[in-house]
Amino acid sequence: MWNLATAVSPAPWPAPPDPPQPRPTPLGDPMLAARFAVPALPKILVRRPALLERLTAGVQGPLTLVNGPAGAGKTVLTAHWASEALSPYPAVWLTVEPGDAPGAFWAYVLEAFQRRGEQLPPEVGSPTRAEGVDRSFLVRLANGLAERPDPVVLVLDQFDSARAPEIVDGLHFVLRHAAHGLRLVLTGRTDSLLPLHGYRTAGEITEIRNADLRFTGADTCVLLREHGLEISEAGIRLLVDRTDGWAAGLRLCGLAMRASADPEAFVREFAANRTTISDYLLTEVLDAQPPSTQDLLLRASITDRIHPGLADTLTGRDDADWILAELARANAFLEQVDGSAWYRLHPLFAEVLHAHLRHRCPGLEPQLRGRAARWLAGTGRLAEAVAQAAAAGDWQFAAGQLVGDLAIGRLLTGLETDRLSRTFATMPTDLPGAATGLVTAACRLADQDLDGCTAGLRRADEHLTDDADLVSRLSRAFVGVLAGRLAHDPAATERAAADADRLLRALPEPLLGQHPEIRAMVLAGLGSAELAAGRLDRAETGLTAAVEASGRPGTEYPLCDALASLALAELLRGRLRQAEQHARGSLAVAERSALPPERLGALDHLVLAGVAAEHNDLTTARAQLDLATGSAGPLPEPVLALEAAVIGSRLATAEGDWEGALTTIHAAGSAAAPLHLADWTADELAIAESRAHLAHGDPGAALDVLDAVACDRPEHTVARARALLAAGRGDHAMATLADLPADALITSTSRTQASLLQAQAAAAGGATEQAHRHLRTALGLARPEELRRVFVESGPWVGRLLRQDPRLAHAHGWLLPAREPGQLPAGACERLPVVIEPLTARETDVLRQAEQLLSTEEIAAELYLSANTVKTHLKSIYRKLCVTRRSEAVHRARDLGML
Amino acid sequence: MRYEFRIAGLVSEALAEAFPEFDRVPVPVPVPEETLFCGPVTDEAHLYGLLVRFQSLGLHVLEMRQLPG
Repeated sequence: MWNLATAVSPAPWPAPPDPPQPRPTPLGDPMLAARFAVPALPKILVRRPALLERLTAGVQGPLTLVNGPAGAGKTVLTAHWASEALSPYPAVWLTVEPGDAPGAFWAYVLEAFQRRGEQLPPEVGSPTRAEGVDRSFLVRLANGLAERPDPVVLVLDQFDSARAPEIVDGLHFVLRHAAHGLRLVLTGRTDSLLPLHGYRTAGEITEIRNADLRFTGADTCVLLREHGLEISEAGIRLLVDRTDGWAAGLRLCGLAMRASADPEAFVREFAANRTTISDYLLTEVLDAQPPSTQDLLLRASITDRIHPGLADTLTGRDDADWILAELARANAFLEQVDGSAWYRLHPLFAEVLHAHLRHRCPGLEPQLRGRAARWLAGTGRLAEAVAQAAAAGDWQFAAGQLVGDLAIGRLLTGLETDRLSRTFATMPTDLPGAATGLVTAACRLADQDLDGCTAGLRRADEHLTDDADLVSRLSRAFVGVLAGRLAHDPAATERAAADADRLLRALPEPLLGQHPEIRAMVLAGLGSAELAAGRLDRAETGLTAAVEASGRPGTEYPLCDALASLALAELLRGRLRQAEQHARGSLAVAERSALPPERLGALDHLVLAGVAAEHNDLTTARAQLDLATGSAGPLPEPVLALEAAVIGSRLATAEGDWEGALTTIHAAGSAAAPLHLADWTADELAIAESRAHLAHGDPGAALDVLDAVACDRPEHTVARARALLAAGRGDHAMATLADLPADALITSTSRTQASLLQAQAAAAGGATEQAHRHLRTALGLARPEELRRVFVESGPWVGRLLRQDPRLAHAHGWLLPAREPGQLPAGACERLPVVIEPLTARETDVLRQAEQLLSTEEIAAELYLSANTVKTHLKSIYRKLCVTRRSEAVHRARDLGML
Repeated sequence: MRYEFRIAGLVSEALAEAFPEFDRVPVPVPVPEETLFCGPVTDEAHLYGLLVRFQSLGLHVLEMRQLPG
């Protein structure tokens, strides 16, 4: 016979390492640095005191808008205000760029605060994924701002570039909830999507619009005088009329007139001409430049920012350094990005130049972009190089760079995912080559499109021979691991992971050090596949290694993922404490690094629900299960969906909803049928179903469903013994338990259950002493993890047995959870009926009447009480029996022998 | 659907080429200082994208309308 005395409690498991604190994203790039700096002011600057004062007054309220078309002087005005320190509060500057995904946007906002030396509390955390941030991050940020002694001004220049509605929503939320800690200044070409009407109604907005930004005659006069031009009053009037006070137009006029022999004649000609102003003036200014400069400007228009080296590459000459410096000095709509060798063209100028390039040199653009891509790649600017190559349609180069740099993981994790996947979104899927195949596969993987991913991998494999370079082969193995996991194909996952492991060893450490996500995601993928296959030991080893390999910035996603899978593995092994610890660790990392909730967290909440269910804390279990299944939509992995069904049915059974429990199980079973999942999942479902049947008093059905699954898992054997015992076949049950191998890995839940069954059988056979001995063993096994549920499920005999042995009951006080004060939550207040507060005589009378299905009024009449008194008695009965409904009270009281 | 955009001023050939999908129709007298762009607009996203492109080239949209048919 299987000797319970040899059952030892599980070996103590070392606590998982504290999830590392994500450090701020390294944003050392000078181009990025420029986004946090107040832009340099034009050398010729017209001071506009009235507008500067309006900005200063504006930041006394929460929101200031500076809106106007391109070239209206929004940024110049705001930068002037910021650089003269006219703001009464510290001002933080961020230039928003098109394509800033929400996660990246918030990361930059935090970085802007940090660079300005405005500290936010560390618990605010920082976003690590491009797609977005969760609400709790915004709450922490708003709280951090609200706690400041004085407000901070956040200037978001070009806020109209923020296309993602989540950014605007998030900003509105933070502004509303930061008390008076945040003042926003937004510049943009279009009105922002913020609910401006509300701010206007509340008088909380200051608006500086195009009509305010327009240059007056006096402004124009100052501007032209600074250009060294003296123009007649009539000429000024003509200019202001023709340009409608458009600042950029007037600046261009100044440049063009300086180059023209007769400024007054220029004015007359300009006023008479009907061509679009920007086109006319830019053409004038461009044509006034020497041919080499014109050529450089046209060619440079394909990129946002120009480096002399890049410009030389584009022109094929070596004069860019000098020309760019000269143009910036002459203020020809080119400015140097502070402290760097880079220059930036005025966006309007760049757009018009770009149009001229296409007009004057048709077909040249792709060639130029190809050259730019190579120069950018050569200087280590991967994302920009890839974007240029993609814009040139040079997909081979774009994909080749990404793969060659071992950056394939950046399509799946990190702040650049959004930008990179948009870059590759238009790549044709039939290009030959290993790199394009791998990039397609990774992009499809990010969209959970297994077929597309497999097709991409197949294409890559056609070109990847054994003598292909290590980086490409590692990238192939990396995508293979993740694809295997998505396909629930443990064999393929393992093969790919073995390849990856070998290649990781062969690659130089510095390259791997730049891409810690590769190793971490391979290990996490392998561990999860092992978990899905039911190999818990190996899953645990792999996932623990994945946790250890994570910790550097960029690995937050695999860290969360690995911790969550590890939590499930521990739950399945009955190690509730470790399971809970890992699940909470995973949620903490997700929280701190503001990972978006949709793909993470479901598993963590599921594990916490499972832990609470074993503890018989049904309220918590239900709440966690709702978190796991409710908000996140369908669970991404079928194993999770199955486990959710198992836990859900268990809760439904506990709540007396037998039909609900069966429906849940059957739905999960039919959803899983076509997926060819591992055998253990079918067994989990069968055990859950048998539990529901037993609770309903149908041991025959319980046995049938278990026997339909041939399985030698100890959990199965124990469940079967339970059904046999319930069916009155105690000898069979005990023989089944005796078959349990002594050395197998058996969860403490199953061991406890087995001892309880032995106790029950002994008690039924009148062997009281033996029954007590088994009960004692069961209690000892259950105590470390506080497995209360299994005692509750066993039925009222446990309570009777325990009441016969007050010392034992006293020693195991943990069986009774601390009583909650006040009203017990509805529907989920089941408590272990070991010690029940006895009903008063009057309460028993009321319950007896309720058993006869009498209504409250009828009971009142029968017992000569008022209806209100009956209600009071019923409430007291519900509380004592831990139920919420009359029928439950009657059932429970019957079970407990109280009726 | 087809749309017509009325732009302030005469738009040069170079800028017009930034909208290759559109026909540029100079408006005859009596309003010679405007340019009409006519062409297919796929959907709303395209429409708003076009407005942004006009703006980023400094072109001022006076009027736009969906053309019948």
